[in-house]
Amino acid sequence: MLDWLKNINKEYPDFWKTYLAKFEHKSNRFVVFTTETSGLNPEKDVILSIGSFAIINDCIQIGDSFETILLQYKYFHDNGLSNEFILESKMKKLSEPEAIQSFIDYIENAVLIGHHVDFDVDMINSALTKLGCGRLKNEALDIDVMYRKLMEINDKEFSLDELSAIFKLPKYYRNSPAEDAYTIALLFLKLKKRLGIK
Amino acid sequence: MNTIAEHIADFLKEYPPFDNLTFRELSEIATSIRVLNLEKNDTLFQINDKLHDCFYVVASGAIHLSVIADAEETLLNKCHAGDILGLRPFFAKNNYMMTAKAREESIVYGIPIATFRPFVANNPDVLNFLLESFANNTWNPKEKENLRSKLASDNISYVDQKSEMQYFQTLSYNRSPLTATINDTAKDIAFRMTENLSNSVVICENFLPIGIVTHTDMCSKIATGVFPLTITMKTIMSSPVVTVVENVSLAEAQLIMLKNNVTHLCVTLDGTDKSAVKGVISEHDLIIAQANNPGVLIKEIKRATSAKDLKHLRDRLTELIQNSIQKNIPLSNINNIASEINSAILKRSVELSILDLGSPPARFVWMSIGSQGRKEQLLLTDQDSMLIFEDVTPDKYRDVRDYFLKLAKRTTAILEKVGYELCPNGHMASNMLWCKSLTDWTKQYDNWMNTPGENSNDLSSIFFDLELIFGEKKIFEVIENVISKNLEHNVLFFDFLGNDALRKNAPLTFFKKFAVEEEEPNKNKFDIKTKALMPLIDGARLFALHFNIKALNNTYLRFKQLAIIDNKNSDIYLNCADAFLTLSKFRVNEGLKNENSGQFINLEELSKLDKEKLKNALAPMKELEELIKSNFKLTQFS
Repeated sequence: MLDWLKNINKEYPDFWKTYLAKFEHKSNRFVVFTTETSGLNPEKDVILSIGSFAIINDCIQIGDSFETILLQYKYFHDNGLSNEFILESKMKKLSEPEAIQSFIDYIENAVLIGHHVDFDVDMINSALTKLGCGRLKNEALDIDVMYRKLMEINDKEFSLDELSAIFKLPKYYRNSPAEDAYTIALLFLKLKKRLGIK
Repeated sequence: MNTIAEHIADFLKEYPPFDNLTFRELSEIATSIRVLNLEKNDTLFQINDKLHDCFYVVASGAIHLSVIADAEETLLNKCHAGDILGLRPFFAKNNYMMTAKAREESIVYGIPIATFRPFVANNPDVLNFLLESFANNTWNPKEKENLRSKLASDNISYVDQKSEMQYFQTLSYNRSPLTATINDTAKDIAFRMTENLSNSVVICENFLPIGIVTHTDMCSKIATGVFPLTITMKTIMSSPVVTVVENVSLAEAQLIMLKNNVTHLCVTLDGTDKSAVKGVISEHDLIIAQANNPGVLIKEIKRATSAKDLKHLRDRLTELIQNSIQKNIPLSNINNIASEINSAILKRSVELSILDLGSPPARFVWMSIGSQGRKEQLLLTDQDSMLIFEDVTPDKYRDVRDYFLKLAKRTTAILEKVGYELCPNGHMASNMLWCKSLTDWTKQYDNWMNTPGENSNDLSSIFFDLELIFGEKKIFEVIENVISKNLEHNVLFFDFLGNDALRKNAPLTFFKKFAVEEEEPNKNKFDIKTKALMPLIDGARLFALHFNIKALNNTYLRFKQLAIIDNKNSDIYLNCADAFLTLSKFRVNEGLKNENSGQFINLEELSKLDKEKLKNALAPMKELEELIKSNFKLTQFS
């Protein structure tokens, strides 16, 4: 509520200032992103990995992507969990501060796209708070909300698998955040077209 | 390098030319890929679009490649997962030559040319594959099966070179022609033409083309000294200039040139001389673009010296029709081409007879009637014709008539040798009844139309499907006007024609089975001509006369035109037009299969699906009959 009061006269990290400065212009870039987390509580849980792709001119830019694992050794240790998957993964691995900073540098002022994106944004925000930054300023669109708007359904939520099935997307092995992000990106392109969003 | 790029690399390495690259190279390519989502009927690129900076690989779904010629869109190729399309930017600088459209929801990978080019340069296998797929078009199903590599070409050339229908070949022509005004002098223009290496200049007024001056004009009018070098274009230009639309096909351009006896066509925005000039097509453009096509056939027909030559050329037309049908070229287009070629054969036959007999003692006109008159004769059916000669003084009448009868007899004999059987009902110019003076013909039409019932046995409705083949257009126009005049308020005539149209036997029995022939030789076959096509042909003619549609003779176009004029019944007409094409196709296929007129369809050889298709095409006939009854107030018993 009174978050902004806390933040008055507060010196932000440089990367955050750079990020804020970018919002003087509107962006034509969309960034589809998804996070894997240890649970559903933004206060207590942590982000384990992030996957994202950029969309420009209705094309998913495979090269313009961001994918990382966050090294949450402390969290695993505190909760007595195995960290085997981190060790085995071939993906890029960064500590949480590094990962969040890189992610902010990557998204710039793009419009964010996600599936139940509020939660992902909350998770990123709580990580940002730890770094002494403000909250994300990007616009965010949610493909589930878009789909329900298209079909005029108010009383039901759709999982990513359900949406993929509805739009007959080819089955991907969805076992990494990048694959989720790619699926969301395809769904977004289809929904964008059908809703006539420019 | 991310997970998705890996997936894409995995996908690509299954297909040529990517199977020649290492996984590392593929990953590099995959990283620069852009993924597009296309909804059904979305266009990826269109003819004449600026080239994109990438080529495409279909990831899922299906993309259709098509070209547009003479306002008809024609499918050239279907691309499925793994197929490559849009290679043009690799090899050429000019805009896309075809349209790529999603046939269903599709996902497409765009691979930037800049990324891919180095791999092509270093890898001859890849280069060869791309060149090959750019240069040839394998959409012949037989080839597709045994072709290891799936590819989609970006320009159109045919594998089978023999009398191939290059109907849809797009023409490349000069898109920035020289223009001049009517006040420019010959000398200035000659300099400009020389500088620009151009052999024609379009004369414009307010940016609209009003004439053209070519090398020939310069040569025959200036170089001969007939006109001085200072003469203005106004005097020496050929005017009006023949204009065509932008995406005119090779064949069509050729026909228009032959028809108008010109060597240059001016391309304008809407195909008339009331819009801006877009380019010039010269005869040379056509020569470059053609190997063996309808235009060449017509040229050869014009040079034929005997019935034997003509027969040989007619056989080539049959081949051409067969190929076109296999290629799924729209029947209406095949009709246009075939009828032009047929007309040329008829015309040449008349010419040959005149060459034998010496020049005619009076002006005359030779006309096709029936299916050739309607420009829908694809098969070698029987010949129907009539001849009108101008009125002469009574003392000359006998000789003149005898000459024309002789001429007609010769001509029909030539045509018989070519393969057109004589008409069993004698509807030919060689018959005394149908070789008459203009006055007699006028009387004949008056009788037919004003007292149709009296000698009903000799009124054949095919005399109302006329096409001028040879001779004086004026005479032809007189008869057209006679018909027009007699149509006004002529209830009796329409009543007669209407009843005639309704008098056909139903194509289906009470139990919705095909009404087949009961007698040999065609026992158990379906007579598609009399039971299915004739009612539509008669109906179209009836309404065309009723609405006085003159310019269009062909059944399909008549229905199309009727749909525009008589808007409230447009659905019925359009259904009939489609049905007519479907039925014609059945007939042509049967005819080509058995080398006959295709009149009797052997139902046993049809697949279940085809039988259904045939039955469905018979449905619109009922609606048309009802329309005839209500429109001309006919009851069953009138």
